[in-house]
Amino acid sequence: MSDREFTSVAGMSPPLPEQRAVPMPSVLSSATGLAGGFFEWFGNLGIFSWQVLRAAVTPPFEWRELIRQLDDVGSKSLPLVALAGAAIGAVLSMEARSSLTRFGAKSMLPSAIVYSVVLEMGPIITGLVVSGRVGAGIGAELASMKVTEQIDAIEASAINPYRLLAATRILACILMLPLLTLAADACGVLMGWLTQTLAEPQSLRQFIDNGFRGATFNDLLPPTFKTAVFGLIIGLIACFQGMRTRGGAEGVGRAATNSVVLASLFVILADVVLVKFILVVFP
Amino acid sequence: MSRAARLGAFIVATLLILAVGVFIIGSREYIFGSTYQLKAQFDNVAGLAAGADVQVGGVHSGTVRSIALPHQPGEKVTVFMDLDKATHEIIKQDSLASIETEGLLGNQYLAISFGSAGQGEVRNGDTIASLPPLQMSELLKKTSGILDSSQQAIQNATLATAHLNSVSAKIDSGQGTVGALVNDKVMYNNLEQTTAALHDTMLQAQTGVTDFQENMEALKHNFFLSGYFKKRGYEDSAGLAANKIGGLPQGTPVKTFTYPAKQLFGGRDSAKLKDQKSLNAGGEFLAQNQFGFAVVVASTGMEGDAQKDLVLTEARAMVVREYLVENFGFDDSQLKTLGMGKQAGTNLDADWGSIQILIFPAGTQIPADKPASASSSPKTQADSPVQAAAAPTQRP
Repeated sequence: MSDREFTSVAGMSPPLPEQRAVPMPSVLSSATGLAGGFFEWFGNLGIFSWQVLRAAVTPPFEWRELIRQLDDVGSKSLPLVALAGAAIGAVLSMEARSSLTRFGAKSMLPSAIVYSVVLEMGPIITGLVVSGRVGAGIGAELASMKVTEQIDAIEASAINPYRLLAATRILACILMLPLLTLAADACGVLMGWLTQTLAEPQSLRQFIDNGFRGATFNDLLPPTFKTAVFGLIIGLIACFQGMRTRGGAEGVGRAATNSVVLASLFVILADVVLVKFILVVFP
Repeated sequence: MSRAARLGAFIVATLLILAVGVFIIGSREYIFGSTYQLKAQFDNVAGLAAGADVQVGGVHSGTVRSIALPHQPGEKVTVFMDLDKATHEIIKQDSLASIETEGLLGNQYLAISFGSAGQGEVRNGDTIASLPPLQMSELLKKTSGILDSSQQAIQNATLATAHLNSVSAKIDSGQGTVGALVNDKVMYNNLEQTTAALHDTMLQAQTGVTDFQENMEALKHNFFLSGYFKKRGYEDSAGLAANKIGGLPQGTPVKTFTYPAKQLFGGRDSAKLKDQKSLNAGGEFLAQNQFGFAVVVASTGMEGDAQKDLVLTEARAMVVREYLVENFGFDDSQLKTLGMGKQAGTNLDADWGSIQILIFPAGTQIPADKPASASSSPKTQADSPVQAAAAPTQRP
C-alpha cells in the first residue's frame, strides 16, 4: 500500500535532478521500513500470543472445537507422518549400511538407525511435515474466514475468536505433535529393520535389543516432547498469519504460504536451540 | 468411523508406542524390576558413562546409575550401579568390578566377576573391589616396548645369520678343518677306514678281556692257586662291601656276642673259618628273636699293616655274615658288616683281634655306608682334619 502511494507521489514529483538526491534516503528508509516491519511483526505476534493465552486460560472452554482440531491435526496427519517416518527409516538404513560397512562397524547399524530416528529425524521430519500440512491448512482457513469477515461475525456474536479459533488450534498442535512423532519414530525403526532384514536377515528382537543398547529415558523422552514446542510454533504462526490477513484471495494465498514458510523456518531454528537445551539439561 | 473414535484410536495407538519405548528402555535400565545398589571405586573410569551396561558373567544384569568424582585429590572415582536382584546370589564380597570395552573401540561397560562360594553376600550399598581398566594408550605403550625389544632381537639374529653365512661360505670354499672335512674326499675316506679299524680292534679287545676273565676264574680253581684262596677264606673281593655300613649306630645293642678271632679263624691273617660251630649261639639268637638289625663287627690287634688289617676285618665280617645267613633263617637284609681294622686296647695281639655280633632293637637307624670303599677310607679320614682346619677360617 505504502509502496503504491510512494510511486504515485513520485509520478507527480518535480524533474530528475531533485530526485537524484533521493536514492540514499530511499534505501535507508526502505531498510528502516524493513526493520520496522520485522519488529512490528514480532510485536504483533507477541500481542496475539498474549491475547490467545488469556483467552485460552479463561472459561468457557471450546471442547468440541478442540476435539475437531485434535482430529484434524492428529489423526488426519497420521498417514502422512507415518509414511515420512517410514521413508526416513528406510533411507537411513540403506545409507548407514553402506557407510558403516566401509568402517567395519556394520553391527552398529541398529543403534545408528534407532538413535538417529528417535533423537532427531523423527521429531524434525514430523515438525516439517506437520508445518506443511497443518500450517497451510490453518493459515488458509483462518485467512479465508478473515477476508470473508466471518471472524468479525464471530466476534459480533460475543464469542472470543481467539478462544474459539486460535487457542483450540494451537493447543491441538501442541498436544498432537509428540504423539505424531512417536508414530513417526515407530514407523522409522520398523522400516529401518525391514530394510536391514531384507539385505541381511536379522530378527526384530535382536534389532531392537542392539538398537536400544545403552539407551536411557533421556534419549527417548526429551526429543519426543520437544516437538510440543514445534506444535506451539506451527499453531501460533499459522493462526497469527491467518488472522492478520488483509486483501482478498491473494491475501489468503499469501497467508497460507507465509504460514508454511515461517513455521518451517522457526521449527528448524527452534530445533537448534532445543537440542542444545536438551543436551545441557538432560545429559 | 466417528471423529471422536478416530481421534481416540490415534491417541491410544501413539501412546502405546510411547509405552513400548518406555518399557524397552526401562527394562534395560532395570527401573521396573527390583534392584539393589553397589559401588565400586576406580582411579580412572576410562570413559565409562552413566547408563552403561553392567554385565555379570557376560550377561547384561544392570546399569551404571551415576559416576561421582571424588571431593579430594587422594580419593577415587565412585561408580554407583543398580543390579538385578537375581544377581544377588552370585555376586559375593570378593567379586571384582572391572571396566571393559566392547570390541576394540566399542562402548565401555562394567563387568563384575562371580564371587567364591564361601564368601559373604553383598548388601545394598556395599562397595566391591575393582581392577584398574586396561586403556588403549597403555596397551600401545606396552606394544611399542615389545616392538623395540623384538627389533633388537631381529638385529641380533641378522648379525648371527651374517656370521653363519661367512662361516658356511668358508666351509663351502674348503677353508679350515671343517672345510677340508667337508670338501676333501680323501680325508673322509681315511677317517672312515680308521673308524672301521677302531671298531674291529674294540671287538677283538672285548673278546680278549672275556677270555682273560675266564682264564682268571680257572686259575682260582687251579690246583696251585686254590690254596691261596682257601687260606684267605673267600674268593671274590667284590663282595666285601656288599653289606657294609659306615659305622656303629647310635644306641646300645640288646645283645652282644664276642668271639676272639683266634678261636674262629685258621690264621692270624686269614678269614677262613675254623670253628664255625661256636657262632651257632649267635645265629640261633638271631633266628629266634625279633630285632631291628644286627652288625658283625670285626677288628684286629695292633700288629701288622693297617691297610691289610682293614681289608682283613672286612673279609672276616663278610665271612661270618655269610655263614650266619646260610645256616640260620632270618631276614638277611637286616644283618650288616663292619670292618674296623686295628683297634688298640680292646684286642690282644695274641688273640688276632675279635669278632662281635651286635644286635640292636627295632627302630634303630641303620647307618648308611660311606661312599668311599675300604681302600679309600683312610684317605677320607685324612681329609677330615683339613676340613676341620678350613672351617674356622671361614668364620669371621
